Amino acid sequence: MLFSLPTLAEPQHFSIAERFLFTVLVLASAWAFWHRFGVVLNKILKSKKDPSFHLFPIGKRIRDFVWEVLLQAKVIRERPLAGLAHALVFWAFCAFALVTFNHCATIFGLAFLDPSGPIGRFYFYFAAIFAFACAAGILGLFIRRFLVRPKWLGEQLSWESGFIALLIFALMATYLASFFVTDASISVRALWWIHTLALFIFLPIIPHTKHLHLLLSPFTVFLSRGGFSQIPPLLGDEDFGLVAGVDLTQIVSLQAYSCVECGRCTEHCPANNTGKILNPKEIILGVRSFLNDLGPASDQPLLGKYNSQEAVFQCTTCGACEFQCPVGIEHLPILIGLRRGAVNTGAWEDDHGAKLFLNLERGSNALGINPAERDKFIERQQLPLFDGTQEYCLWLGCMGGFDPKGREIVADFALIMNYLGASYGVLRKEKCTGDPVRRLGNDLLFQQLAEANLEALAQNKVKKIVTICPHCVRTIQEDWKEYGTPPEVEHHSEFLARFADKLPPQKPQPDQLPAQNSSEGAGGFNPLERPNASNWASAPGTEGLVSGHDFSRAEGAPSSTGALAPEVLASRETIVFHDPCYLGRYRNVYQEPRTVVSLAGELIEAPRNHERSFCCGAGGGLSFLGEETGERVSQVRAAELTATGAKTIATACPFCNSMFRDALASNSEGAPQLLDIAQLTARSLPAANTRTR
Amino acid sequence: MSGILVVQEERGLGRNRFSQEALAAGRVIASLTGLPLETAVVGDKNTPILAETSGAPPSAAYAVEHPLLNIYTSDGYALAFEQLIRKLNPAYILLPHSYQVRDFVPRLAARFNQVLIGDVSAIESGPLFTCQLFQGKLNARYRHQGDGPCFISIQAGAFRPDLPAAGTTTIHPFVPDIAPEAIRTRPSEPFRAAAQTIDLGSAQLIVSVGRGIKEQENISLVQELATALGAELAASRPICDNGWLPMERQVGSSGQTVAPKLYLAVGISGAIQHLVGIKASQCIVAINKDPDAPIFEVADYGIVGDLMEVVPALTEEVKAAKQ
Amino acid sequence: MKIIVAIKQVPDRDAQVRIDAAGKWIDESDLQYALNEPDAYALEEALQLKEKHDGEVIVLSAGPERVGTTIREALAKGADRAIHILSDDLGSRDALGVARLLAAAARQENPDLILTGLQSEDLGLGQTGVIVAELLGLPHATLILHVEKTDTGIEVKRELEEGWFQTIQLPTPAVLTIQSGGNKLRYATLMGIKRARTKEVRQLLAADLVPVASPVVTLEHIALPSKKKSTQMLTGTPKETAAALVEKLRFEVRVL
Repeated sequence: MLFSLPTLAEPQHFSIAERFLFTVLVLASAWAFWHRFGVVLNKILKSKKDPSFHLFPIGKRIRDFVWEVLLQAKVIRERPLAGLAHALVFWAFCAFALVTFNHCATIFGLAFLDPSGPIGRFYFYFAAIFAFACAAGILGLFIRRFLVRPKWLGEQLSWESGFIALLIFALMATYLASFFVTDASISVRALWWIHTLALFIFLPIIPHTKHLHLLLSPFTVFLSRGGFSQIPPLLGDEDFGLVAGVDLTQIVSLQAYSCVECGRCTEHCPANNTGKILNPKEIILGVRSFLNDLGPASDQPLLGKYNSQEAVFQCTTCGACEFQCPVGIEHLPILIGLRRGAVNTGAWEDDHGAKLFLNLERGSNALGINPAERDKFIERQQLPLFDGTQEYCLWLGCMGGFDPKGREIVADFALIMNYLGASYGVLRKEKCTGDPVRRLGNDLLFQQLAEANLEALAQNKVKKIVTICPHCVRTIQEDWKEYGTPPEVEHHSEFLARFADKLPPQKPQPDQLPAQNSSEGAGGFNPLERPNASNWASAPGTEGLVSGHDFSRAEGAPSSTGALAPEVLASRETIVFHDPCYLGRYRNVYQEPRTVVSLAGELIEAPRNHERSFCCGAGGGLSFLGEETGERVSQVRAAELTATGAKTIATACPFCNSMFRDALASNSEGAPQLLDIAQLTARSLPAANTRTR
Repeated sequence: MSGILVVQEERGLGRNRFSQEALAAGRVIASLTGLPLETAVVGDKNTPILAETSGAPPSAAYAVEHPLLNIYTSDGYALAFEQLIRKLNPAYILLPHSYQVRDFVPRLAARFNQVLIGDVSAIESGPLFTCQLFQGKLNARYRHQGDGPCFISIQAGAFRPDLPAAGTTTIHPFVPDIAPEAIRTRPSEPFRAAAQTIDLGSAQLIVSVGRGIKEQENISLVQELATALGAELAASRPICDNGWLPMERQVGSSGQTVAPKLYLAVGISGAIQHLVGIKASQCIVAINKDPDAPIFEVADYGIVGDLMEVVPALTEEVKAAKQ
Repeated sequence: MKIIVAIKQVPDRDAQVRIDAAGKWIDESDLQYALNEPDAYALEEALQLKEKHDGEVIVLSAGPERVGTTIREALAKGADRAIHILSDDLGSRDALGVARLLAAAARQENPDLILTGLQSEDLGLGQTGVIVAELLGLPHATLILHVEKTDTGIEVKRELEEGWFQTIQLPTPAVLTIQSGGNKLRYATLMGIKRARTKEVRQLLAADLVPVASPVVTLEHIALPSKKKSTQMLTGTPKETAAALVEKLRFEVRVL
């Protein structure tokens, strides 16, 4: 059957002149290719070595390579239609490898695939399917770029991309056309030569354009740093981060040259989306331009002409950029590296930044508050002190120790731990984990804090830490590794999820019960019965938000004993969960907080959720810096969460909580409740566990 | 020849309370030691402060006059008083702990191999002098050793001035010998900082308004109080966010950090972002209708009430007090 | 310009002070130490002068071994070298005694300017700088916010009471005590700390420099103040509370 279908036609013989021409073409093309590619390769190899790069364990690298490169999973998943089109082009290129070799071999009579034989025939048909898909794909991408013109591809039309699209189309078209001509015709020779020309014009274009990614990105993905936002250690006395060209490492250079300018990083950047000048794509391309113009041996500063200091300090380190990148560029170590270069040398002059650093230089916490306030909180809340015998150390962190809302969350979590019978204690003294200064690039302070904390934890014999703050979790588990061996640490969502079956079932909140006195409005709670988190923050009603705590009413309500009416059960409170950047993208914890939320009410998702969660704006040390330009990131996200219509916004990070509290307070009309997952859980605890002051 | 010399500082009619307090302190030492009390001031015999003396008049007053003393310089004053002290040979020299005294008296005391006991808040038998250490966290009692003169400066407001009593003081002129070369510094006329810029960071008195104010129109109430007090107007973030006051008036973690003598927080709940900006204030007063507002934790004085009523009442009282 | 900055290492401002067993001083175990904040402003002013006019900034400090950390911090912020007067019994010297040590070391250096903070956060005497000026026979000015170099010496901006300021012209060499808040302080950087490792710290023994003399002022007794700070709530009608508050503002806070 197969044998009656047309097959690929090829010229049967070539003249000496043709062979000569072909050879010249190949050599010229190869030379032009190497002329540029050699330079790029040289720049990459001449860059500083990455001292902390380890090829092994290699399993993850291979898995990532298969998943991201061969299967094009990230490319497709994050932008399905365009991604699929691209995948088809890529797979076609792979499928075409033998075709291309064979094509070139024919001119010297060395063809190894016989179009009339079964293998050849099968393979050419196989390649034809791909050629068709590729042609369709490239046409679609062309239309997208030149007619639809999404803004992520930039303002200016890229004629270079258009030309390449044309070449690829030509390659596929000539291939497919060759099925419909005969070996002996003039057309077959013309098609052959057009195909050849297209091929050998394409080859040198690759290293001169962003199509360099064809060669580099498989390596880039394979040779990643080995973890999300993996900040490399500084080496030696003269290493202060990414200050000048000489500080660019091989990984950074490789990644800079791999950028395919797709703009997915920028598309998801919270700073860029709210009118700031930061553009992650431009950061990478700025590094690339630096390398092109000045090279890796240059002592010129990286920040200045090629990238601005202002942009770099607008980053919240949310990681959406790094997460999106289909070619394996790791934006965060580069951004933080640039910050290090500015901060470690004192080039960054910012009043709020200096204040943060000076606070931590002399004090214990990032807020600059007298540490005695934390002692007062511990005493008032009657939190047990860690004495080495308990299983868990409950780490308060700066927010949990000093921020009124953070303290409420800690207090509620402590109640839950009591209820579960967990053995825990709080350290007498804590220093800030150093997260804000780590992300801002102050290695002097970070080292001091990390080392002091590690020593204190070792002295106190702390084996396991549980904390309410994902920033603390990340910094303790990952960033402290540079200076010692941190104890195990988990986030309270992970802890709660493990014990989900032991937590009491939630009754619907009083305002869900039909014909009850609503507890809405300011001051609708009884402070005496409420397990008060602290003396500093017992006024949630002042902002017009509904308190989540109302034990007295819940317990005393007539229909709360015995069976609940079906219509009551059906009207569970809707809760939208906001994935914190440092819990989600950084730690891959998505399900555990949802398990906890589902116990308390009906979980609904925000439009951007899980790995696509939109930052609250506090990360990267930014909550300690001055006013933002443009729109407030927190307000954009708060509006998105409010627009879901949920009654409650659930957070799992005290910073997110603090940012949304501000954002919701400024538009107080019908704003949803804002509660941490610990607070949502604690309200289901029986009144007997209410701690009285 | 021994005695107690109180050095007063003429500041203008009705503004010499500090010097009266120094005299009162002098009388405490007089009652502890039985030594006679004398006073001195830079100026001529008609210097108003010499007529304003409160309590039993000192047995003698010295008007220290010299053209080179017309403008305060540390060299001039140190030299003049060095000569006066050598002449009178007092056992105790008391002064108010003013900027001026802090400027020249350590120099002066060093010439006698002495150290000034500064900012004294209490004097007990001994005599023992009480000062605060560690920014008010500890009280320390000091004793003077040896035969030399004891220099003491007293804390503002620590001693209540006495009421005037009958008696006269003989005024003796004293003309020190000061050569022009001895004065090495040339001070300018005093000036105030530019009025236009809003510099909350150096403001001594601040009245701050928060979300409790509810409406923009109500801010004028608080502005009146600020004006009456001679204070700068500031606000918490939500007020500035709404555009009710300019961003330069925002106090808090994303605004200014302030350290005034008095911070009066009106309708501010005390969120941590605000508190970190005000924690260096010497005295915090809070007016809020919520008794559980976090601001009361850090306030020195608190009023739970409706600011719409308390603030106007306060403005009236302040105006009356300043009469 | 050769500038000496006299700095003091003091217990951390936020530390809980406890009285030691003997009741004569504070319990120093478990204390964190830091650079006295007004001295940090003095250092900042000196560094800015050096950046403008070239020269050398030398930090000078007296105290036990632990003072070395604060000295290194000052070197990390940009000072060129340091002199550490080693003394384990600084508490037994009064302000005059300490000033004698500092003056002796400074005299050897013959600087153009000596800057120091207005007062220390522990004792708060505010005198040491002025006494040093007297001992060296130099002119001085206190409560300085800003220093400018002139042809005849320097011009400084001084803070006066109640929101007034004045400028003073004086010749160099001179001694200035610096008020907090005149500049923005710079933060310590990694680069600064690394460079500080190679900077010279000359150690002098206090006893060699100036023998201990008996102090003219001795500390007899220290105690915690009797009333702890707590919030005084004023109650009554708006008129009553307003009147009560004004009373407090007049006599306790003393701002009216």
